[in-house]
Amino acid sequence: MAPSFRSVIRSTWQTLSSIKTGVILIILVVIFSAAGTVILQRPMTDPDDMQRAYSPGMLRFLDAVGLTDVFHAHWFVALMILVSLSIIAASVQRFPNAWRYFARPYKSPDEGFRRVLPIQAQIPISNEEQALSAAERVLRRSGYKSEHIVRTSSFSLFSEKHRISEMAVYIVHASLLLIFLGGIVDALYGWRGFVALTPGNSSNQVEIKTGTTRALPFSIRCDGTGEETYTDGTPKKWWSKLAVVDNGREVSRKEIVVNDPLVYHGVRFYQASFGRTGKLDQLVLSAAPKDGHAPVQEISLAMNQTIALDSDTSVQLVEFIPDFVVEDGHVYTRSTDIANPAVHMIVTSKKTNKPVNVWLPEIDGVAENAASPYSFTPKDLKTGLFTGLQVSHEPGQWAVWAGVVLMAIGLTFVFYVVHVRLWVVPVNDARSGGPMLWIGGSVNRNRDAFEETFKKLVEQIRSELKPQPAAEAEKPAASMAAK
Amino acid sequence: MARAKVEQHPATGITLITMVGLSIAFLLFIAFLNVVKTGSILNEANLLYAALVFYAGAGALYLGFGITGTDSYVKFASLATWAGLIANTGAVAHRWYEAGHPPFASIYEMLLSFVWTLAALTLIAEKRYAVKVIGTVTMPVAIVGVVLMELLPSEVRPLVPALQSTWLHVHVTLAMLAYAACALSFALAMMFLIQDKVKTELFLAATSIFTIGIYAAILSRFERWGGLNVIAWDTENKTEVFIARNVRMFVTIPELGWLMLLVFVAVCVPLLLYIVSRVKKNDSFLETANKAVFVSILLQALALVFFILRARDGQYPSLDAEGLYATSLAASPFILAALVGGIFANLLYLLLLWRREDLERHLPDADALDRITYKTICIAFPLLTLMIAAGAFWANRAWGSYWNWDPKETWAAITWLVYAGYLHMRITRGWRGRRAAYFAILGFAVVMFTFFGVTYLLQGLHAYA
Repeated sequence: MAPSFRSVIRSTWQTLSSIKTGVILIILVVIFSAAGTVILQRPMTDPDDMQRAYSPGMLRFLDAVGLTDVFHAHWFVALMILVSLSIIAASVQRFPNAWRYFARPYKSPDEGFRRVLPIQAQIPISNEEQALSAAERVLRRSGYKSEHIVRTSSFSLFSEKHRISEMAVYIVHASLLLIFLGGIVDALYGWRGFVALTPGNSSNQVEIKTGTTRALPFSIRCDGTGEETYTDGTPKKWWSKLAVVDNGREVSRKEIVVNDPLVYHGVRFYQASFGRTGKLDQLVLSAAPKDGHAPVQEISLAMNQTIALDSDTSVQLVEFIPDFVVEDGHVYTRSTDIANPAVHMIVTSKKTNKPVNVWLPEIDGVAENAASPYSFTPKDLKTGLFTGLQVSHEPGQWAVWAGVVLMAIGLTFVFYVVHVRLWVVPVNDARSGGPMLWIGGSVNRNRDAFEETFKKLVEQIRSELKPQPAAEAEKPAASMAAK
Repeated sequence: MARAKVEQHPATGITLITMVGLSIAFLLFIAFLNVVKTGSILNEANLLYAALVFYAGAGALYLGFGITGTDSYVKFASLATWAGLIANTGAVAHRWYEAGHPPFASIYEMLLSFVWTLAALTLIAEKRYAVKVIGTVTMPVAIVGVVLMELLPSEVRPLVPALQSTWLHVHVTLAMLAYAACALSFALAMMFLIQDKVKTELFLAATSIFTIGIYAAILSRFERWGGLNVIAWDTENKTEVFIARNVRMFVTIPELGWLMLLVFVAVCVPLLLYIVSRVKKNDSFLETANKAVFVSILLQALALVFFILRARDGQYPSLDAEGLYATSLAASPFILAALVGGIFANLLYLLLLWRREDLERHLPDADALDRITYKTICIAFPLLTLMIAAGAFWANRAWGSYWNWDPKETWAAITWLVYAGYLHMRITRGWRGRRAAYFAILGFAVVMFTFFGVTYLLQGLHAYA
């Protein structure tokens, strides 16, 4: 007997909405997330480090099942979708009941309800109307507004507070789904990348983490960047002056610092790093003529710039080597870090008309410093700066923040706002046959505290009834049910 | 009548109070001499020292109360806690003023805030909920915290750009409050289990597993020839030594690994004996197990002493580079905290073993403890939620992404899920009593792993804490 399509749907729905499924899914999420923090993850970890940490076979296995990038693996995304479905199913299944509470409050308790309600008390009375108005006065004093419920054969009071509390759990669940939604939108349509800019330059090309490049419909220009340090040299502040150029027009301008990005059309530019390009900006030198015919002068050279030292002699800066090393009579650079800098200048004199290669420091084999009519002493080396900008586009983040705010509200209601209901009904006691005032109360959480409040309310109603002559005959008949 | 009363309260209470009072006076006198020498009273080091003295006094009195059940100890213990809290508040305020930002930037400053919160919560739990012996658990933790602070580099460090954000302060404040509430719920759950007549030998097993966990974590730094790897320390700049971004350099202290291995074996013995007694259904093994706990405490103390002696300073070889490198206790706060924590856990077990009836007499009844545990978690959970949200918001401003799945974030989310599980089970499934208490304990274990374990064992963006 093949199960019908409908029954399959129904049983799937039942399974999804059960708390057991929810707990199993939560446990799975916990296990796999924990695995993702213990196993080294790509692309954060260097491929070399991955190979050092795991054997080739192990690494192949981990890669194949996606354990090296747990949080972006398809099965993890599927798991998160299942969690969302489970939350939806559980909420939808329980919602109608809660909604009944919320939308159609039970105002007139019948006999069966009165018998089983855990929190209740009875006070003997003489006059129904007087008793009800006394109860209403007491309730009003305690901040409960009462409603008069008139039925064909009876007349009673109903009073409640914070009915919204019944909906609180659904608010929290909805907020969680909203956060997931934001996350999914960002996973599908969001991106993150990096742009490095030197002052004066602009770019619209963003390097994406995956190695590709993304062209923005506008470009970003850097008008200056810098760093402030504490006296001990640790960085205090990095800043960049940025301008957005859209269609050839400057449309936005801001000085950004860490923690304060520039936002344009949903694209955010963050100050992420700051550094030196390894390129020369300005070289400051002092130049002294060897024959002493002129005073020592201080000059400042940019790359390829030529400066006249006197009417016959000029000097040009032709090469800057940030980290030099000499091999086979040639000068190379080992890296772009300014670790071991050297500069190459050409001094030309009209008298000899022969260019002289001057190197600072004087490198044997290539430098002809002795033939130069001037001797140079380096004073300062100003190198180029660049600013590293993290660029991100997260269209879903508004859903996330909205979800967070909603969750804060929902949790406040869940934990600190209690739905209180109170009923006051005049009844005829079955045993004594005399008229009694039946008082019942119910809360959706925190019952222990409410039991105390309820006891006090009953006492107040009792004493409110006392001054009336009929109450003199009162017996201590009021009772709290055991459970 | 009188005789019975004397038997119930073997000490009149004057002896211990006088002794603790005299020690406090003595220590404060020494501190006073130091103050006269340096010429300033209200500096942070002195305040912290005063806090330590008072907390230690409070801890001794709470322990004395736990052991003898003398009520007057509690009164003096709370007085000492108050005094410690005032000194601690002074230290926090001084720090805040000096640094120009709330004290949450380094692990030192976070401990300062954590200890403050813990002391405040202890007093609240004692006055508001009449959980008198809670100081027996929380004060030793506070003492460990202050001792760690004395060891950690305490100078005000300038904040690197990423940390200059109000949201960071919001994030860390919420984290401290949430974690302190979790710690309280853990202590309450433990007391519930005591009041719920859980057998003492189950606490033996739990203590043993906890201690085994500590030494297993320490032995993850075991090096082949019996050495123990600790982080290298740059004594000049007072920072850890890095060989690459976020990669710390380790030095190997020879022979210390063997000692840790020995203690590991010793702390395994009580658990093994417990298992044997369960399998053979023979309680005589339990008595041996209790003796083994006593022996393991002595060995643990030995391990602590040797660790302090060897790791305090000295030059050791490293696997990462040639030559000898320095280390310092400041480089290994987690190992130190773990060693001290293990000793305290075992001492608390002995307290339970010897003085269970006195403890039961002074605790609120099981139902009340169960309810207070739940209420504490009702406070902790929203704080955890807001803490994660504030962290995400800050990350979004600093790094351009609100969620990076870095280990600390992931474990914060796991903590959140565990407590969410607790609440669901309690509210929809009506889990009360023991199952709920075990769940609360599990929750706090995850919190501790997020706070210490992730920093110690896993690496990520949260390099600052």
